[in-house]
Amino acid sequence: MAEPFAQPIVQHIYSLNLGPQHPSTHGVLRVLLDLDGEFIVKADPIVGYGHRGHEKMGENRAYKQFMPNTSRMDYLSGMIYNHGFALAVEKLAGIEVPLRAQYIREIRSELNRISSHLLWFGTYVMDLGGFTPFLYAFDDRENILDILDRVSGSRLTYSYCRFGGVNRDLDPNFVDTTRAFVARLRSRFPDYENMVTKNIIFINRTRDVGVITPELARQYAVTGPNLRACGIAFDTRKTEPYELYDRFDFEVPTGTRGDALDRYYVRMEEMVQSCRIIEQALDQLPDGPYRNTKVPFPLTPPKGEVYFAFESARGQAAYYLVSDGSECPYRCHIRVPSFGNLHVLTEVLRGTLVADAISILGSVDLVIPEIDR
Amino acid sequence: MTKKDELRGRLRALFPEESFGVDEAYRTGVAFSTRVPAERLRDAAEACNETGFYLESITGLDFQDTAELVYHLNCYEPKSRVALRVLLHHDQTLLTLSDIFPSALWLEREVHDFFGISFTEHPDLRPLLLPEDADYHPLQKAFGKVNAYHERKEIYG
Repeated sequence: MAEPFAQPIVQHIYSLNLGPQHPSTHGVLRVLLDLDGEFIVKADPIVGYGHRGHEKMGENRAYKQFMPNTSRMDYLSGMIYNHGFALAVEKLAGIEVPLRAQYIREIRSELNRISSHLLWFGTYVMDLGGFTPFLYAFDDRENILDILDRVSGSRLTYSYCRFGGVNRDLDPNFVDTTRAFVARLRSRFPDYENMVTKNIIFINRTRDVGVITPELARQYAVTGPNLRACGIAFDTRKTEPYELYDRFDFEVPTGTRGDALDRYYVRMEEMVQSCRIIEQALDQLPDGPYRNTKVPFPLTPPKGEVYFAFESARGQAAYYLVSDGSECPYRCHIRVPSFGNLHVLTEVLRGTLVADAISILGSVDLVIPEIDR
Repeated sequence: MTKKDELRGRLRALFPEESFGVDEAYRTGVAFSTRVPAERLRDAAEACNETGFYLESITGLDFQDTAELVYHLNCYEPKSRVALRVLLHHDQTLLTLSDIFPSALWLEREVHDFFGISFTEHPDLRPLLLPEDADYHPLQKAFGKVNAYHERKEIYG
């Protein structure tokens, strides 16, 4: 009698390292995937490669000295983080800001939001195999960086806000260039739509891929466009209006299914809404001082604390500052949106294909140095 | 009724009135904060979870006389953030919240990294942001360069 065949191995789970240097992880993110064939059984994101200790640095330097750090956490929306930090300290210390400065900061923050979404758009479509839209998106994004650069002298790490205003006034061309840019960007949206939004390959790679349900989003503290894509119109600019956001007419776009395609729609629509905010702000931009000159130096806010939340391009970010009455904060904690947005992927990636994992990782728009801090 | 009022009602049934700090003007960025004894934190977290809040951030504060954890929770309504504040000894452990809020899985790992506070029954307390062999806790005031190290009452009175 022949020997019985060996029992077939029904399951062979093996591990695959995605990253830390992988073109689709956008930063030093390593995801340890446990695979069964091509299906992901378990995904374990490993972060911390870019940990620089911003929170510890914040405790050891004066409030003003921390400003350059803020644009280096999320380097794609550095202006928004500058802006949030200035607002947090102003709230803590009770500093008045001239109206013109508020408009300037808000216009620049919204420009920064568009530039961040454009970069996401370009790189995401490139992850999925479409190279051309990337060139279009970077062309538009260069225009924004030029506008931002001309005023603050820096393309990404602006350090432009000051407590009680901004570093320097707008240059005379700013208003005209920005108007021209917004008009040009609007004319580009139909191109994007024709190239990508209606592209059947793109739709097939994103529809029903990486669904985040509202309950999952709440459990993992997902915010920003990823949350809005599953149908919850939650935007810090609306729920806790800071600066001048309650003066402007804009909508919070939402999706319905919470998949990668909805996240795409939401971000594209957010760019349109940011254009609306910029145009309204440019119309209303008042003359006057760009900086409150009566801010005490050195700045010593009264004892107490503030938790200041603002909407970055990726979701809700916040500074939690505790003051002991000295020049340096006693505690400087930063809540970053990518933290929850990455954490939820441990759940979302389970049971998907490796090829979809690339699409999902791209679609949530992660900036890893922001998580590492 | 807004969710923050609903939560306030639930927490009021659990904790005495003097443990609440209400901030009507939203000056500190939270609608109200609740001082919670360490052993009853899970009750408070469950009340928050059932009301529909999400756990936004956990962070520690290191004082000479005590350590403190601050839990910020929020819901999708205007100006609804609440804070739970827990005082503990420097070497005290705390029961995990990760079965109530999965987001606590990583947030507690981060707090463990930086403050050395351990969470019992946490399934996976590997370092998150620090190297995997790290045996130091950088945000403790005893570590590295420190600008100030106070007792808690010097800041909060």
